[in-house]
Amino acid sequence: MTALLEVANLNKHFGGLHAVKNVSLTLARGEVVGILGPNGAGKTTVYNLLTGFIAPDPGARIVFQGTNVVGLAPYRVAALGISRTFQLCRPFVGLSVLENVVVGALGSRAAAGGDLEARARGLLAQVGLGGKEGVPVDVLSYGDQRRLEIARALAARPALLLLDEPFAGLGSSEIADLSALIRRVHADEGLTVVLIEHKLREFMRLVDRVVALDFGEVIAEGLPDEIVRNPAVIEAYIGRDESAGSVVASHAA
Amino acid sequence: MLEILIVGAVSSAIYAMLAVGFTLIFGVARVLNLAHGSFYALGAYGTYVLTSHLKLPLLAAALLSVAIVAAFGVLIERVFIRPMRKSQLAVLMITLAVALVVEQALFLTFGSEYRNVPAFVDAKFTIGGVNIAGARLLALGVGVVVIGALWLFIQRTRYGSAILAISQDPQAAQYMGIPSDRIFSVVMALSAGLAALAGILAGPFLTVQPTMWLLPIVKAFAIVVVGGLGSIPGSILAALMLGYAETIVGYTVSTSWTEIVSVLATLLMLMLRPAGIFGRRAAF
Amino acid sequence: MFAKPVDLAGAAVFVALMAALPLAFPSNYLIGVLTVSVLYGIWAVTWDFMSGLTGRENFGHALFIGVGAYTAGFMNTTFGLNGWWSLPASMVVATLFALLIGVPTLRLKGPYFALAMLSGSVIMQRLMLIFWEQTGGEEGLNGLTPLIRSQIGFYYFALAALAAITALLLALSRSHFGLILRAIRGDEATCQAAGINVTFYKIASLAISGAFAGAGGAMYAHYQLQVSPQLFAVVTSITIITMVYVGGMASIYGPVGGAILLVLLTELLRNFGEWRLMIYSCALILILFFLPGGLVAPAWRRLRAALTERRTARTVPASQERSA
Repeated sequence: MTALLEVANLNKHFGGLHAVKNVSLTLARGEVVGILGPNGAGKTTVYNLLTGFIAPDPGARIVFQGTNVVGLAPYRVAALGISRTFQLCRPFVGLSVLENVVVGALGSRAAAGGDLEARARGLLAQVGLGGKEGVPVDVLSYGDQRRLEIARALAARPALLLLDEPFAGLGSSEIADLSALIRRVHADEGLTVVLIEHKLREFMRLVDRVVALDFGEVIAEGLPDEIVRNPAVIEAYIGRDESAGSVVASHAA
Repeated sequence: MLEILIVGAVSSAIYAMLAVGFTLIFGVARVLNLAHGSFYALGAYGTYVLTSHLKLPLLAAALLSVAIVAAFGVLIERVFIRPMRKSQLAVLMITLAVALVVEQALFLTFGSEYRNVPAFVDAKFTIGGVNIAGARLLALGVGVVVIGALWLFIQRTRYGSAILAISQDPQAAQYMGIPSDRIFSVVMALSAGLAALAGILAGPFLTVQPTMWLLPIVKAFAIVVVGGLGSIPGSILAALMLGYAETIVGYTVSTSWTEIVSVLATLLMLMLRPAGIFGRRAAF
Repeated sequence: MFAKPVDLAGAAVFVALMAALPLAFPSNYLIGVLTVSVLYGIWAVTWDFMSGLTGRENFGHALFIGVGAYTAGFMNTTFGLNGWWSLPASMVVATLFALLIGVPTLRLKGPYFALAMLSGSVIMQRLMLIFWEQTGGEEGLNGLTPLIRSQIGFYYFALAALAAITALLLALSRSHFGLILRAIRGDEATCQAAGINVTFYKIASLAISGAFAGAGGAMYAHYQLQVSPQLFAVVTSITIITMVYVGGMASIYGPVGGAILLVLLTELLRNFGEWRLMIYSCALILILFFLPGGLVAPAWRRLRAALTERRTARTVPASQERSA
């Protein structure tokens, strides 16, 4: 079975800084994969490289559904079926909630056919924002903005959904809700989902397997339970972030 | 050939004085000040008024003019630019409006005919067989000295370090307790004063009329785009490139084509390398 | 339908008023003022369509006006073609210029695009002077033939053109195309992530904006019967932007009101002679500080709200009667 996404030899230098080092990974259709790593590990940079916002160093190989996406402009990558959210919510300011989702569907791939407004309403209901269609985005709560981001990303009917720290800034009940939503969406739409997070607890329950990054390199790959016991991962976390370290330890227990 | 070398150097010096101030205020406050050309105009007109109407000696008139325009620059920054700083385009609009008001004020006061700004040095010199007006040589000399002094100021003084800090990272600079607002005013005063000085030095051999603010701003923009916004060395290098390009075109093709050079340079640079030669921050 | 019935009614009333004015007050002077205000209306609406919606302010709209006018001038005087050919030709030429300058500059940040457009218009003004042998220099081209001999006839044509262009651009702005433009204003990176070719839409909107502005320029040329480099002046671009600010940015219809108000203001200020531009520029500063939302569009929105409220208030008792 051909992989959905094949990444090999992914490197990025920013001046003298080797931000992403020889990252390789393969995604099978329908997986939920987590990318784990402390701040500065290069996770968002990997997303930017995959989606065309930054150009990788020469020699990289990124093949999505059989198509080489290296060198394509971000909108083309998106049009091929990769949708992403951003670490800091970036809604379309000045537009209403409904309009935000409709725009998500206007990229070339998904625009064909159907009543976009109706589909947008459906998506908003799915993410729990039903009833807020006319609200201007700047007054939404942070949790709602995150839901909106996901609705907007789904509007494009992607094959691959890249989520960048979807739980950041949310309280525990909101995280549980959002987590359930992601699981539901994954099951219903048959999406492949990649998730960047460093809030381990919810993350571990959500993903099928984990890729751990540190200083731009893949330091470990495997099932959540294995990763949590992996010495390199533990060192990366305990060395930097005490609270995450204790979560790791409690998972291992 | 030697003539081109010297005349080109003179143009470059004037342009450098204009461009360095323009890029300085952008580097520090992220402001593209379209009234910058007005400072140039006011410097020239100020000297004209102080010498012909108030009968002040030229040097005093020039210094006073620079001081007044510098103060005016600070006023513009406080009253018009600061409230609009949230949007770069709003600042563009308001400074453009100010430039228009200044142009109209000059027009209403002095009419549209060309005025005479007296030259410091009336004599003509001969260098290597080339006749060159003393005024032009003075412009070159003063320009080099002043920009050199500015460079030293930025590299060696505390204010200078503060300016560099804010240019690199405005937020971090604030966290360090650097008084950004005061620095903006200082930079604005320097920027305006430099432009005024350029106007005073160039006045004797370039046209002095109310609309004289527009071309300098187009050229200053061209220079900072080519050199890289916020980069003083870039501005100096680009000013040299533009000054010489224009002079060469003027001598080999025709003088009426010189204005096109700057805009062509701008558009080409924007197409090929928007960050400019030395720009850290890309134009996109 | 892209506009509610009350909007259409308002538009109809406006057009009827504008059409009736010269009949009620027969005066060549008035017709002249109204014609100029209508042409400025076309330019202001076209500016708003691109810059108002995308947020990418264009400081050189005069470029398209001048290019359209000179196209008309050349075709009519140098090549002796009938004036009606000027209109489509000016649109084509203006579109070409939009592509020429838009493609390299629209992918850059706001101020760069604004100043690039400004530079473009300044350069065109210079070129018209440099090539004075072909373009007539400062004097420009003279002796164009009018499109419609009767003054009031041309005014009605211009008014119809304004109505048609405004309707078209308003419909576009309320379509998915317009939604994308507004999204571009909101966040370009997110648009890219949604699969939208942002550069294409920016260029397309600039081309549309430029094409119709150029047509307006051609109309102006056949009205004044001459074209001069002054058409490219910075003041023209700034005046148009002021009109949009007064009218209400991104409303598309507001700038029509802004144009009429400002042209009327200019006429009223005629007594101040040389002080006119000064007053104008000061007015612009005041508007930028105190009226960022504009005057005309907010006023219409309030009026519309009042009108629709009154209507629902009247119908409610009727339905209550029925259900009782």
